[in-house]
This record gives sequence, C-alpha cells and structure tokens, in this order.
Amino acid sequence: MLTRITYALRETWASFKRNVTLSAASIVTAAVALLLAGSTLLIQKAFSNLLIQWQGGVEMIVFMKAGTAPEQIASVKQEIVDAGVAAPDGISTLDQQQTYDQAKVVLAGQTTLLNALTPTSMYSEIRVTPAKGQQDRLPDLKTQIEIEPNVSKVGLATDAILVYRRLSSFVRGVTIVLSSVLLMVAVLLIWNTIRTAMFARRREIEVMKLVGATNWFIRIPFMLEGLLQGLIGSVVSCIGLVAANSLWTNNLNGIAHDTKSSETISLLALRVDSGYLQGIMVIVVIIGMAAGAIGAGVAASRFLDV
Amino acid sequence: MIRLDNVTKQYTTEVTAVRDASFDIPKGEFVFLVGASGSGKSTLLRLLNRQERPERGSVFVAGQDLNAMADSKVPFLRRNIGNIFQDYKLLLNKTVFENVAFTLEVIGRPNHVIKQQVPAVLELVQLHGKEDRFPHQLSGGEQQRVSIARAFVNRPLIMLADEPTGNLDPSTGEGIMRLLDRINKTGTTVVMATHDQRIVNMMRRRVIQLDRGVIIRDQVRGVYE
Repeated sequence: MLTRITYALRETWASFKRNVTLSAASIVTAAVALLLAGSTLLIQKAFSNLLIQWQGGVEMIVFMKAGTAPEQIASVKQEIVDAGVAAPDGISTLDQQQTYDQAKVVLAGQTTLLNALTPTSMYSEIRVTPAKGQQDRLPDLKTQIEIEPNVSKVGLATDAILVYRRLSSFVRGVTIVLSSVLLMVAVLLIWNTIRTAMFARRREIEVMKLVGATNWFIRIPFMLEGLLQGLIGSVVSCIGLVAANSLWTNNLNGIAHDTKSSETISLLALRVDSGYLQGIMVIVVIIGMAAGAIGAGVAASRFLDV
Repeated sequence: MIRLDNVTKQYTTEVTAVRDASFDIPKGEFVFLVGASGSGKSTLLRLLNRQERPERGSVFVAGQDLNAMADSKVPFLRRNIGNIFQDYKLLLNKTVFENVAFTLEVIGRPNHVIKQQVPAVLELVQLHGKEDRFPHQLSGGEQQRVSIARAFVNRPLIMLADEPTGNLDPSTGEGIMRLLDRINKTGTTVVMATHDQRIVNMMRRRVIQLDRGVIIRDQVRGVYE
C-alpha cells in the first residue's frame, strides 16, 4: 500500500512539473472562475443583508429623527392606523436601541464603526405591513406622513426592494453565467492538460497495462494532478476573495466614517462578515478540487487506451 | 496452460488476422509461432493477453476463459504473463533497475521485495553492475535483456515474446534465445513469434506455422520451412 501511495504522489508531482505551462494555464483559469463564483455568493449575501429590514411583508418604513419623543412617534403611528392601510398587527415600532441592535447584527465585527454609533444617534422606525389590496395606497400615505416634523424620511418597499432585487438578480445572473462558463473552460483546460500528459506517457501507460496495473492505479496520479491544479486555483481565488472583500469593506467603512450618519446603515449592510467569507472559501476550495479531479478523471478514463 | 478453440479475429470485414485457429499448449512448453509478416502471429499473442478479443471461438489461459473474463480481472491475468517485444518498450527516463522494478511497483509489491527480486533477476540476465544505466547507454542485446528481466521479475506462468531477436545481430540473438531457454526450464511456458529461420532450426521446439491467419502446420520439434 505504501509503495502505491509513494508511487502515486511521485508520479503526480513529476507530471505536474513536466506540464508546467499547461498546468499554469489551468490554474489561472480555475482561479478566475472560482473567484467569480465566490464573488457571486458574496454579492448575494450582501444584497440579502441589505434587504434584511424588509422581511416579513414590510413595505413601508418611517424613519423618525434621532431624539424624537415616544409620544411623537405614537402620534405618527396613530396617523398610519387612521389611514386604514395597515394590516391588523401590521404596524411595529423599533426604538433607537432596537435599530442600534439591528445595526450591530449588520455591522458584526466592525468594532471601529460600531463604536462610532450610539443608540442615541440612531433613528427609530415604524414598519408597516399593508393589508391585502392596500399596497396602492402606500404612496399617498407616504406623502401624508413625510411632511410630519419629526419624520426624517419614508421608504417604500416598492422603491427599495424593486431596485435592490433587480440589481441583485442582474448581478447574480451575469456572474453565474460568467463563472459557469469560466469554470467549464477551466475543467476543459484541466482535461486537455491531463490528455497531453497521458499522451506524453503513452508508452509508460502501455507498459503499465501489460504488466498488470489496474486502470485505477494508472488513473489516480492523473486525477491527483487535476485535483492539485484545482486546489492551487481555488487557493489563489480565495486570496483574491479575501482581498476583494477587504477592499470593499474598507471602502464602505470609509464612507460610514466620513458621513457618520445613521442613514449609512443601509449601505453598510452590503458588508459581508469574515465568518461567512470563510464558509464561501471552503465551498470554493471544494468546488475547485472536485472540478479538477473530475475533469482529470474523465480525461484519464477516456484516454486510457493510448 | 493455453488453449484456443476455433478462434477467429477480424479487424474489418475485409481483414481477418486469425481464422478458425485451435491449439493446446501444455505448461512448460516452448512454442514458436512462425509465418510471414501479416500472417497473424502478433495478433495471436495479443489474443493471449487480452489486448484483443476474438469475434468467434474461445481463448483459455491458465484455466480462465478470456472471453468471459470481466475487464476488471484482466490486470490480474496479465500479472501471470510476461511480455517481450522487438522494440523492447523500455522507459527511457528510467534506469535499468527502475525499469525492472516498475513491474513490481505497479502491482504494489513492497519495497523490500523489490530490492530483493530486482538484483536477482538482473543477475539471471547477466546485467549485474549495470543497474544505474539508462537504456540509451546499453546495446540492443542488453536492452532486450532488461526487457526480459522486466517480464520475468514477477515469475510469470507464461512469457509471450514478439520477435525478440528481430533487431539483434545473430550472436546476440542466440544469447537471448539461451536466456529464454533457461527461463523455460524453470517451468515457464514460452510462446515466441518469429520469422528468424536460423533460431527456429537451432532450437528444434514445437512450431506452429501461420499463413494469412490460418494455422497450416503444428509440428513437435519442428523447423522453419
């Protein structure tokens, strides 16, 4: 068993070095494809963070200025109730502490930024879920409410959600198509690299078959070579993902730092925390290794009769 | 050890390499397959190690019906068959030792067995002291000896030799034949395809003659006609 393992590892490394140019091409393509695939997942997470406050059928949010008294908030809430647009139990209120707590979830890990925010600098929110068939009346209610003195602004889900969702769906569509095509190209390149490696070693393979090597014994070093290419490509893409996410986060933090406004909360939601990023990296490495091994395995099986 | 029953091998509808061939080779026999180029000698050898499958008839090797044998079992059959070729088929990037060890390595023999068996077989083929040389540093005869060592290191039941003296001068060829004779005397069945008249006449072993795929003569202690 030890002889076979040693043999497989030695042959894998020798073949990898022998085809260094083709191997490099496969690795770079795999890295770009996986970087795009990983970015797609990060973008999805960012949009999901951004849309978090619109969950549960909420279609209108009234942002009350920081420091608004509870009775003034209650007054606006009563005005909404009187309009008859909201569903039963369709109005909820988040005080400054609660919006601060939400910000802590969205900004998890951003201690510098969180330190810049305080519960007293946050707005309070009135969230409205409309009754069935009342959605069309929300724009009129918005016009009515936003002139109230303590209202900072009124957001309608139809504005925000549609824009974000369309943007999210467009970006997701484009990146999924691009990363799929590139991943396929990477698999084909790995396939071609293995095919070339097998052709270069056809005499050796012929001798191996004649002296009684099993097909798996012949195939495994080639599959390991493909797996190695996929692994290196995915590690390169992970470095790229960490760099891109760090750049993105730093930019968002910079904006937040410059403005120090509670309104930047919605923008900061586009950040992706490092825990999620690590999960994405694990997925990317698994996809890279599997694509490399499968591409090489198919090529090795196909050209075993060289 | 080897039995063919009415075997026919066709490559295309126009090309029939072997036609209705039948013979029986007992364990330990030395058999020459003779005939002109294209008479079907090499195809017969390829049928014996399951590189080819017949269209009709049955091939039995070491008691196993090769037609009924699953593909996954073929490597295990081949571990009992040594192959020697006219062009040696040595791996040029490996030394003499590594070429011979390769056979044991690919079938998973442990290192201590490899270190014990390879020098012994190199001694047998009189290549002791040349373990670290590469094939291009050897003469044709020496390369063929490496090829024989590689085929025999696993002590196979059968040796198939396809024109092993075809690229060698007469005296080197005789040396190779003496070696194959020694191997045969250890109980290994040897089947050798050749059109080297001198060697066949010198050895006086069983001769199976083919002509355009048909066996036209099967003679004990035969000569090349």
